[in-house]
Amino acid sequence: MAFVEQLISNLLYGAILGSVYGLATMGLSLIFGVLRIVNVGHGAFIMVGAFIAYWMFILYGIPPLISLFLAIAVGMAIGLAIYMLVVKRLVDAPELASLLAMFAIGIFIEEFAKQIWGADYVGYSWEIGGVSMLFTEVPFTKLLAFASSIVIAAVVYVWFRKTKIGKAVRAVVEDREGATTCGIDVSRIYALSFSLGIGLTVLSGVLVTLFTPVGINVYMGGEYTLKAFVIAVLGGLASPWGAFYAGFIFGLIENGSYTLLGLIPGVEPFGLTRFLSSVVLMLVLLVKPTGLLGGE
Amino acid sequence: MRNYTPLVTLLLIYAVMIAIGQGIQGMWQPIMLVIFYIAVGQALNIFLGMTGYVNFGYVALLGVGAYGMAVALGYYTDLGLIPALTLGFILAILLAFIVSMVVGGIALRLRGAYFAIATIGVNEGIKYLILGGKIWGGSSGIVLSGILRKAYGAETMRFLSTVFADAGLIVVAILSGVITMYILNSRLGYGLIALREDEDAAKVMGINVRRYKQIAFVISCILAGLIGATAWTLKLTYVFPQDVFAINYTVEAIVIVMLGGAGTLLGPVVGGLIYALLKYYLTIAFPGMQLLILAPLLIIVILLFPEGVVGYLAKAARGTRFEKFVR
Repeated sequence: MAFVEQLISNLLYGAILGSVYGLATMGLSLIFGVLRIVNVGHGAFIMVGAFIAYWMFILYGIPPLISLFLAIAVGMAIGLAIYMLVVKRLVDAPELASLLAMFAIGIFIEEFAKQIWGADYVGYSWEIGGVSMLFTEVPFTKLLAFASSIVIAAVVYVWFRKTKIGKAVRAVVEDREGATTCGIDVSRIYALSFSLGIGLTVLSGVLVTLFTPVGINVYMGGEYTLKAFVIAVLGGLASPWGAFYAGFIFGLIENGSYTLLGLIPGVEPFGLTRFLSSVVLMLVLLVKPTGLLGGE
Repeated sequence: MRNYTPLVTLLLIYAVMIAIGQGIQGMWQPIMLVIFYIAVGQALNIFLGMTGYVNFGYVALLGVGAYGMAVALGYYTDLGLIPALTLGFILAILLAFIVSMVVGGIALRLRGAYFAIATIGVNEGIKYLILGGKIWGGSSGIVLSGILRKAYGAETMRFLSTVFADAGLIVVAILSGVITMYILNSRLGYGLIALREDEDAAKVMGINVRRYKQIAFVISCILAGLIGATAWTLKLTYVFPQDVFAINYTVEAIVIVMLGGAGTLLGPVVGGLIYALLKYYLTIAFPGMQLLILAPLLIIVILLFPEGVVGYLAKAARGTRFEKFVR
């Protein structure tokens, strides 16, 4: 059964890709959970990470796994700058203001990147062989991306659970005023969470490049913004862990439906999976706005 | 107290613009660009400005409107010119109505940020439905110029894509303004402003917030569909999914509304004027960099002038004899 083999290998691939999707959404959920700000420009930060991976590899031959460290550092610096310049003033403003500001920031980053890097599609290939699993050959690069996503998510988890500052962040999520009363400097927690959220997003952009051999482009983010919102909503929007698990679910749905839609003659399955993402987004919001996993 | 006098200011502005466009050589094109952006802002303002909800899928409504007109003119040419055009307007309205009922019916059950998130997928969703499902020509779009020339002659086609399209757009733009004024003076408008300020309080006061939001959303979307049908399909005589679902129009519309002043009648007019002229001359001076300049502009407006130009002027005019003319 060629079809079943194809479906299974696509689902396997979906789970691997899903781990990266999950990681790419954690930053979005972290920022929403702590600051109640929706980062509508999410995809632009993934694009920044993708370009970091690309340039480090092309210019210095540095493999993407090493670029991860640079990416989180750059991302946190960008995040802190945006927080200080814009977001700080909008934490208590009406939603309209912060939504539009984040939207504008995303566009600004894309347009700025276009001035530096141009509008062409670029890519690189990091060949380190592969391993045969089930019916398909999985490249090591994708397995490494899978493993790093899980490790990074686990590190963030431990940091949240065990360190004092991680606990402070959770306290702010729980109750802003209560945390202030307990002597937590809420504005510092905001700055840290925003910068960490952006840092994680940029970092995930590095891993995304391992799945898109020639898909690095300044406007690549739009696709990931949409996916990240579907995933974040599936995971309950305010919970980074919910987002991480929901990433797997989304990876499976996406790749499974791609195989199934490919059976319909006369359509272009890739486009329809993207249509499907927005339908899933709507349906989840309709049926259970608090997320399928119901938050933490 | 009902006050329709700001409409005088509005119509005066249109009269001056049309006079400048017709009277001065080479000004018609920039004036039509201004009117396009005013219309786009005016239609979005009816929803975003009055309710405070952000519709990130706005351009999709212009897109389906454009497709409605293109489908009628391209596929039902045999009906004759007038019936096909009428069908085009009906289809544009109908498609915008259906999309807004479905999207609004689902997304308006949600509050604030959740609504905005729900609308993020709308534009991409419809675009990829057309591309992926190869509907209405898929990625090759609908090209009307050949069809129209063959069916009605070159003269009629030129008339359609110049005079008729421009006049249609001006009518839609003014209509959006009149509807805005009507809403501002009606029970609906008071209800919308109440729910924008505090949705729970409005609900407690007996306002059917779901229904009010839905009405504003549908009106805003249908007007957007008509703009797409006139300013894009009729004027350009082609429709491509990549063009009509381009997200930058959503950004531009939001910038115009915020710049001019959300929830005011004249806000989109002032915003559209500033924006379109800025864009027209920026495109000449710095090609391809409009969005790079606009995005920081939007951030600055949000941070420093959340009321917009007209919001500020209306405050300044309070107590003077101009009070009645600014809103």
